Amino acid sequence: MSDVVLSPPSTAARSGSWLTRWRRNPWRKPRILQAVTIGYLLWSLIPVVIAVIFSFNAGRSRSTWQGFSMRWWTGDPFDSLFHDPSLRTAMLQTFRLSFITVLIAVPLGTAFAIGIDRWHGRPARPANFVMLLSFVVPEMILGVSLFLLFTNMLKNLVPLGTPAQILGLATFQMSYPVIIVRARLLSIGPEYEEAAMDLGAKPGQSIRRVLLPLLSPAILASVAVTFADSVDDFVIVRYLSGPANSEPLSVKIYSAARSSPTPAVNAAATVMLLATMAMIIVGYLIYRRYAKGTGDAGDMASFTQL
Amino acid sequence: MSTHPMEHRWSRRQFMRRAGGAAIALPTMSAILAACSKPGTTSSGEGGSGSAGGERVLARPDNPVKLPLNGEPISADTPIEAGATLQVYNWDAYMYKKVLKDFEDKFGVTIEWTTFNNMEEGIQKLVSGQVKPDVFFPTTDYISRLVEKDLLQPLQQTLIPNMEGNVWPSFSNPGPWYDLGWQYTVPYTIYTTGVAYRRDRVEDSVAETQGYDLLWNADYSGEISYYDSYRDAIGMALIRNGNMDPNTGDDAAITAAKDAIMQLLNDFDGRLTINGAFAKIPEGEFTVAQSWSGDIVGAKWYLPKGTSEDVLGYWYPDDKVGLIGNDCIVIPTTAQSPRLAHEFLNFFLDETYGYENFASWNGYQPPFTSIDPDTLISDKVIPPALDRAVVTEEMFTKGLIQGELSADVDQKWLDAWNEIQAGGSA
Amino acid sequence: MEATTTPTTEPERKAKHTKSDTASGAWYPRWYWPSFTGPGTIWMIVLFLLPFYTVLAVAFGTVDPLFRTPLPVYQPWWWSFATFQTTLQKFYVAPAVYQPPLIRTFEYVFVASLICLVIGYAVAYYAARYAGKYRIPILVLLVAPFWISYLMRIYAWQSLLQPDGYVNDILMALGLVSQPVLWLSGKGITVVLGLVYGYIPFMILPLFGSLDRINQNLLEAGRDLGASPSQTFRRVTLPLSKPAILAGLVIVSLPMLGDYYTNNLLGSTRTSMYGNLIDGSVGQAGQGPEAGSLVLILMVIVIVPMLYYLRETRRAAENA
Repeated sequence: MSDVVLSPPSTAARSGSWLTRWRRNPWRKPRILQAVTIGYLLWSLIPVVIAVIFSFNAGRSRSTWQGFSMRWWTGDPFDSLFHDPSLRTAMLQTFRLSFITVLIAVPLGTAFAIGIDRWHGRPARPANFVMLLSFVVPEMILGVSLFLLFTNMLKNLVPLGTPAQILGLATFQMSYPVIIVRARLLSIGPEYEEAAMDLGAKPGQSIRRVLLPLLSPAILASVAVTFADSVDDFVIVRYLSGPANSEPLSVKIYSAARSSPTPAVNAAATVMLLATMAMIIVGYLIYRRYAKGTGDAGDMASFTQL
Repeated sequence: MSTHPMEHRWSRRQFMRRAGGAAIALPTMSAILAACSKPGTTSSGEGGSGSAGGERVLARPDNPVKLPLNGEPISADTPIEAGATLQVYNWDAYMYKKVLKDFEDKFGVTIEWTTFNNMEEGIQKLVSGQVKPDVFFPTTDYISRLVEKDLLQPLQQTLIPNMEGNVWPSFSNPGPWYDLGWQYTVPYTIYTTGVAYRRDRVEDSVAETQGYDLLWNADYSGEISYYDSYRDAIGMALIRNGNMDPNTGDDAAITAAKDAIMQLLNDFDGRLTINGAFAKIPEGEFTVAQSWSGDIVGAKWYLPKGTSEDVLGYWYPDDKVGLIGNDCIVIPTTAQSPRLAHEFLNFFLDETYGYENFASWNGYQPPFTSIDPDTLISDKVIPPALDRAVVTEEMFTKGLIQGELSADVDQKWLDAWNEIQAGGSA
Repeated sequence: MEATTTPTTEPERKAKHTKSDTASGAWYPRWYWPSFTGPGTIWMIVLFLLPFYTVLAVAFGTVDPLFRTPLPVYQPWWWSFATFQTTLQKFYVAPAVYQPPLIRTFEYVFVASLICLVIGYAVAYYAARYAGKYRIPILVLLVAPFWISYLMRIYAWQSLLQPDGYVNDILMALGLVSQPVLWLSGKGITVVLGLVYGYIPFMILPLFGSLDRINQNLLEAGRDLGASPSQTFRRVTLPLSKPAILAGLVIVSLPMLGDYYTNNLLGSTRTSMYGNLIDGSVGQAGQGPEAGSLVLILMVIVIVPMLYYLRETRRAAENA
């Protein structure tokens, strides 16, 4: 313990060259960290900005700028985003998969989280374990396993394509609402519901009118995270895809990137980007409007709980 | 509990209970018995006609095969399915979208085009039922297996008049070696497999002397592309090494071919792609590429603005002893709109539409009697520098054709391919 | 089925208890909470546990003789371990053709995770401690990559790394190279940096959460006792963020072990990873049992870090 005590900072800061003084100053501005952070943010986001810009490229290339043109958005009669049905189908498929997955995964996951949190029985622990396992298992393993399941055991029950993709996605995503809602439940505690029941509410009523509203920021966060993750998802939906109209945009980008992409792919990806951002903003505004006063930085904490 | 000897007769309740138990037990017993028999030993239904698991007859050009008819073709007066969606399962970029649009307009239907990246993937998805197309474009070495698995339906030949009207007679009478009497297939394109190169970086004379070795040339390190498809990849390596049988099962030959490909990928920085020839050579990313003849002819549509089509070059052996083949169009049994599918086949054999598909987009020559190979260059369909990409009927007599491999030989090829894809220590 | 009148007195309430109750004494029927978890559990059993059994059935099964599609064997007593043994031997028996991808995978994942940690920690530290009034915008920008499709980000990178792309343009303009570098022709560094690019957001957020929660008073106490900034960091901040560091490393490295698409888009067969082995054999004729075996082997490899992570999160949840 005693080796930590040095001369008081103020005198140390005044002795030595300016470099040493700068190093020893505990209140200095963190220039290096700042530079690293700004550098990281640029590195992270600029490539995407460039990809968006290249969707307006006049030529076929996605790496050499050949002038501005709306060719890949509306102009080209066969390959532009507006005219090529395969890209539009892919975008629709992405949305379809993501919406339905959210509709399945969030309710089931939220119910699961509430049940696990309150249930003290013995079977609760393995159920919880399996759910958490689905969170950490690499997606590749789950994707190949589901593919083998749907092409062998459930061969005639579930065709590959949209049905299989939805089932697979919901399975993979279910752990997100569970984790987020559980984290929130831990901070809420059972007092509110018990107070409600003491005042005469039935168990169903106390859940519906007390617990769920308290959980609404976490549920909203789950919807946002599950939706975004489903839009991004690639491994599972690729293995479980069937005919062309079941390939979402992520798979189309992958196939195009491996063969010969045109800037129309950039255009489609840009549309997805804008749509996802719009959803996030809408979700955030809804949250702000309805959850005033109940959540502090609770939603931010939900994200970082992962 | 003891019963009085007079009460040995079962009460009705006891009888029902025991009978019910037996009724449940019997199916369970049969299920257990079924479970007890090793799967795969009882004939599980595949290998239907005749030689179940026995010796398969492998079709070869010098051993043509007449496939068994697994059913009746659709009746000639089946009405065309109006407003249907035709499911087409084909390589990417292999059909001209304008011709597809013309078909859609003519019949008032829509076309949905599902793609596969190489033939193996295409076959696996079809066989597993992952895709259920109306029209499929296989290579010839899979036809008899698809028929044996009842995956293809016989064609109603009267609905495809262009076959005898416009296609080389050898394809209809007596019919191709893989499908005598053209019961299941019509041909789509004919092509050779050679080496494409950029003429602004490789002299024609150099290409002439090196031939296949252009792909094994250190000068072009990092700019070499090879096909990501095991039959084509190993096939060309075999021939380059001097083994002129592209269907060989010889272990030493296969190993030598595999080593050559690993050398290409590791020592010369080669890349396995499927679009290396038609998309990347014109863009300049590759200097040499294994290429089908149609790929390099169609590459001119991918040239950036301002680059002349003279930069495209194609080498094929002068004596015409090289890889040659054709693709087919077939109608799977899963077709939802078989009548429309027949119209589709007829449409692509049409001398106007089929020709437009080739001349304005595909680059892959169809075997039409209406096309004179000698005029293709003067008609500006094929650039003069790509004269080796023209395919004539005589070339089929000298060329080396890939056919179906037996299961163990196929496994050897796939094992070698597996090893290639695992990368080796770099 | 449940009683509709709430018992009012304490003894009445306790008498009404069926066996499921909370610590404070409120009552719920026994089936109440399990019915919440029921649907999710059934879903998981059918679509999470059953697929793993199918993997076993395929790995230890056979192939159909004609097209060599996999024929799974569901009865354990008929399982054949021959293909599994052959596959396993491809890893260590000469010529161990699968050994290079396996070693490469571990190398890439190790290096990429380390780079993620260093950069991620720096960024998270800055955002948590020094961002001040820019905190929310920076956090939004940090979270933004989650909303952008992973494929789109790697595709954007692929465009930049083309021989005529901007990375080469900048390098040549700065005079660092004289010819365009072929980044996409099978370079390990490209794949590693691609992995970092793709997965680093998963490292930053847990680190940010943990660093954000560190009590400011602890740090100031350290400084008041005379510790220099680096000492404060080493002895206070670092130990407190250790659980988050380990969690972040696991979250980042687990998906990397199964990654194949980053290599397919940014590398070549020379940089193939374990995920490529699986991807190459799934759906290929005759390779079904081998694909299953490879998946099994991968599960064995990742089971230890996975269980470790689960244990740590459970411990953290209990301590919270």
